[in-house]
Amino acid sequence: MTNENIEKIAKARRLARKTAKFSFGSFYSFLDGLGLAAQRTGETFFWILKGQIPIKSTISQMVEMGWRTFPIIFLTSFFTGMVLALQVGTSTANLFNEPVYVGTIVGFSLVLELGPVLTAVVVAGRIGAAITAEIGTMKVTEQLDALYTLGTNPIKYLAVPRFVACILMLPLLTAMANIIGIYGGLIITTNTWDVSSAIYWSDVLDFMEVGTFLHGFIKSFFFAGIIVSVACHKGFSTAGGAEGVGKATTSSVMTSLVLVMVSDYFLSALLMALGID
Amino acid sequence: MIKVQGLSKSFGKKCVLRNINLEVKDGETLVIIGSSGTGKSIMLKNIVGLIRPTSGSIFVDGTDITKCSKTELHEAQKKMGYVFQEAALFDSLTIEENVAFGLKTLTNLGENEIKKRVIDCLNMVGLKNVEHLKPSELSGGMKKRAGLARAIAYEPKYVLYDEPTTGLDPIMTDVISDLIIAMRQHLKNTSIVVTHDMKSAYKIADRIIMLYLGEVIFNGTPEEIRNTDNAIVKQFVEGSSRGPIETDRTFREME
Repeated sequence: MTNENIEKIAKARRLARKTAKFSFGSFYSFLDGLGLAAQRTGETFFWILKGQIPIKSTISQMVEMGWRTFPIIFLTSFFTGMVLALQVGTSTANLFNEPVYVGTIVGFSLVLELGPVLTAVVVAGRIGAAITAEIGTMKVTEQLDALYTLGTNPIKYLAVPRFVACILMLPLLTAMANIIGIYGGLIITTNTWDVSSAIYWSDVLDFMEVGTFLHGFIKSFFFAGIIVSVACHKGFSTAGGAEGVGKATTSSVMTSLVLVMVSDYFLSALLMALGID
Repeated sequence: MIKVQGLSKSFGKKCVLRNINLEVKDGETLVIIGSSGTGKSIMLKNIVGLIRPTSGSIFVDGTDITKCSKTELHEAQKKMGYVFQEAALFDSLTIEENVAFGLKTLTNLGENEIKKRVIDCLNMVGLKNVEHLKPSELSGGMKKRAGLARAIAYEPKYVLYDEPTTGLDPIMTDVISDLIIAMRQHLKNTSIVVTHDMKSAYKIADRIIMLYLGEVIFNGTPEEIRNTDNAIVKQFVEGSSRGPIETDRTFREME
């Protein structure tokens, strides 16, 4: 074996060792982050269960999350309902020569899936990002340290009101998104497909049961928990100035979205297995 | 009295503080000097309980805050005010709310008393008619003074200043130094001040210690530091680029 080959093998070994070390390090830091997120969420629950909820701050967060998010929820769900009605109507007209079950499909799609998931996506993008950016900026400018020196627990002061507000407002926004989406579908069904509103409403409501609404409602609670826990954790873990805040915010939104999508499947499967659908 | 015993702090392999021993007597103003990255701010954060040391003890009026319960730590923290390098005022609150924050969380004062105390503290640091402004509407010097007002509002026994004059013009630096002296005379508190500014250090200090590569290499009065033969201390005090202090490294790994 030539010296050149020996050198190449040694280089490859060094690279392999480095890669293994890097993978182990990444895995370790992932587990560390997971543990820290669980600890922070646990602490948030602890303060909530203790009844230590800053009321004024919670109300202002509810206004921010609910009232100020409503216009964008209105637009997205309204147009989602309209496009659903358009697509379903076109497809069923092609298959059966007339648009049928438009209300049923629009209603079920919105209440079971699109309402909770789309609302969660909008809230993750708007509220999740804002929470991470705000807490992250406070972290890098030592405002969290200042809170601590002034005898205030940052989790109690910052995470608890945001958690409570998000848990309360996301299901409410989801319910509104469902109603608005169904109305969007109604406009297209009556105007484009000349189906009477009575038929549309009977299509929407005939097959729906309490469990159908409950299914989407329960999921939206979990989505709220995921979004706000991730957003707060990413904010509290921010490091590295303005660049760090940007990275934490991006990571917060991406992590929330992925977790919402993944948990959506498992939650749906679980709720169906429990007969809530 | 604050007593630091065998304090060491490492971040991974980086040893920032190494076996620090010091005492701050009641009513004394201790100034900590040293190059950037020698662990001055880390030491302050250890003393106030923001960071846990790797080893060693910190006694605040006899309570070891590194080993005590959360309640005892909270009680010890009530005795301390911390002035942050960049003021660290809460962006979302007005100056009045910022200064009142500690009064609401650490004291049992009523609304009217809090309001009066806030005005008094702001007057004491030379800020008038800024109560309803947000921190973003203030200049750097005003922010520092508001941060100082917040730290002294609940009349802590100990006030810790992390580079209170950094980034300020010479006149504002002198104003802040005068304020620190006035605070001490008025509130009879004990101060620990981290600074790079020797003029300010000479003016306010009863005692000066110098940290170098995580260790205390000098501990004496302003007069003693002026006359020291220690080449490292001399270079720092004179602000010279030539000497034993390595100017190309600000954060050194020591293992």
